[in-house]
Amino acid sequence: MSGTNEFVEYRFRHSIAGFFEFPTANALQLLPPHLQPIEPHHGQSVLSVMAFDFNGSMVGEYGELIMSVLVAPRLEKDQPLPRSAFYPVLLGTTTTASREHAIERWHLPHFMDDIDLKWTPGEHEIEVAASHKGAKILDLRITDYDWENVNHRYQSFMTDASGSYMATIIMEAQFSENEEERGQVTFGNHEFTKMIDRDSVNTTPFRELWMRDGLQTFHPLQQIAGPTK
Amino acid sequence: MATRLEPTTSNDTGRRARGSATFNSTIGEYDYSNFFYSSSEDVFGIFPQFGDWYYGHAKNSGYYLFGQPMSTPPTPYISLEEQLGHEQVKLLNLASYNYLGLSYHPEVVAAAHAALDKYGLGAAGSPLLSGMMEIHDELEHELAKFKGADTAIVFPTGYSTNVGLISALMRPGDWIIMDQNSHASIVDGAILAKSNARFFRHNRADDLDRKLRDTSGRKLVVVEGVYSMDGDVAHLPEIVEVAKKHGARILIDEAHSGFVYGANGRGVAEHFNLEKEVDLFVGTFSKALGGMGGYVTGSEDLYIYLKGFARSRVFSCALSPVVAAGVLQALKIVQREPQLRARLWNNVAYMRKLLAAGGVDVGESTSHVIPVMIRNDRRVFAIAHELQRAGLYLQPIIYPAVAKHRSRFRISISSTYTTEQMDRAAEILIGVLRAEGVLSSEDAA
Repeated sequence: MSGTNEFVEYRFRHSIAGFFEFPTANALQLLPPHLQPIEPHHGQSVLSVMAFDFNGSMVGEYGELIMSVLVAPRLEKDQPLPRSAFYPVLLGTTTTASREHAIERWHLPHFMDDIDLKWTPGEHEIEVAASHKGAKILDLRITDYDWENVNHRYQSFMTDASGSYMATIIMEAQFSENEEERGQVTFGNHEFTKMIDRDSVNTTPFRELWMRDGLQTFHPLQQIAGPTK
Repeated sequence: MATRLEPTTSNDTGRRARGSATFNSTIGEYDYSNFFYSSSEDVFGIFPQFGDWYYGHAKNSGYYLFGQPMSTPPTPYISLEEQLGHEQVKLLNLASYNYLGLSYHPEVVAAAHAALDKYGLGAAGSPLLSGMMEIHDELEHELAKFKGADTAIVFPTGYSTNVGLISALMRPGDWIIMDQNSHASIVDGAILAKSNARFFRHNRADDLDRKLRDTSGRKLVVVEGVYSMDGDVAHLPEIVEVAKKHGARILIDEAHSGFVYGANGRGVAEHFNLEKEVDLFVGTFSKALGGMGGYVTGSEDLYIYLKGFARSRVFSCALSPVVAAGVLQALKIVQREPQLRARLWNNVAYMRKLLAAGGVDVGESTSHVIPVMIRNDRRVFAIAHELQRAGLYLQPIIYPAVAKHRSRFRISISSTYTTEQMDRAAEILIGVLRAEGVLSSEDAA
């Protein structure tokens, strides 16, 4: 693959995420066999609903909605543990260029049409309304707590017909995180979220995360398994 | 705020090595939860990174405060070995569960001594086989009489009680609906039962109703009388109503509320006059009775079923007869001296008044378990260190034991505290919280 030895940077105004408990039985349906879901409670895994407002990248400004399952991180010799690890099950972007870029470079699974993201940032909370051709996908509200500057390390896993991959991602930003249970997600009846059992998702996030004015850096992609036979 | 209290040493890599406290930001990057899940090809693969974190950052940043060995009984003043300098320090103790001061009561100690002379140290067998002794039988009968139940069955620990009870009764396909703040023993019992498990939002009967709505078959709702981290009491009337509506059995764990709540000390179910509505009662001997072990009270049918199917009991050695004798004597004292409970509740009221006057945030607590909310995960260890240096023993509690930003200290009130001891404890606590900027003089009532 061309260009996979490069570090790729994406600047963003806002990155928000809510972690929601949902049944592990549903999580296992979404994960490849080599990944193990994290359970904050027995029988309950973590659905991450995340949105980015990118304002600087090799494919311009765009918005991105990501549905992921939190998974066990991969230990790498002489490398620090990541803060957490994700398996994105579906992404939606607001531009075709950003979608094609992420599929080609990062092997990420995408909803194959442009979506709309409407951001409403406030002083202590932020909302994003995700829709597709006027139909609601979901609304996500996240609240803040104390803010600090951070440099966090994450892992993202991807699987497609060409194999299984992992990317280390560094996030540098102002960061706020809380478990005050003040946020919320509401789902529309849209095919974007059809892979999750929406009625069984706890609609109050047990953790809310918000990053502002940050830089996301993808380390070179590592192939961890070959094509599925 | 002090970021470093003493010079750092870099050679603290051994378990017993001396060190010094270093409260830096590194502690905030990882916690225990980061090291539970990981994928590698070696079962021991996580050890190097965990060890680097623990000895390189966590221990000196505050984890040394956990599990410091005491050289005294859990009396209001204790001595313990401080884990960095390995020096003995004398501290005013607000951290022990010894709610009625019975662990070192002279009659309890004498009863344990007598049992040691009569039976020796251990039971030397499973209670199902050769481990049952007269003292166990006597304890079970006395406990059943106290609880107004047909029978009581004793387990070797509180943990094994919930694990054994829940896994004995529930099966794959059944439903166990637990409060989200349930003790690990309840959760582990549900895991072992392989039943469908759901958690309802803490003390929220409306969410319990939602979680029960699409269930069918056998159902068990599990709550605790007093929740050990927040010190709040189960909203039992509303929870019982919802559980009954859905045809679910109700289990209450009275670990922290047994022998303390209710007109006769039978627990939170007695407090709410709901003993007839609750189906299963669990409790421990390690809190108010000052010993160890656990129990289930109920019918004769329940007793004989658990005797055969509670695997954590069947496959453990019976409770030591020495402990059983001490616990039995403690139970007799509880029944003979209701003034112990009265004194406890007077002390709870007195300490609450002192804390309120100082503007201390105690969260949602209404019980003898009083959290002192710090709500700052990065600073709670430094404050704990200062409290210990000032002569007060309190355990810091941080994520993942509680939610992020819900860090706290947990005060356990005992009937044995004098007003002078509580005055001194509050003085130290409020003084340190003010010095650390958690409280200001404006916070005082």
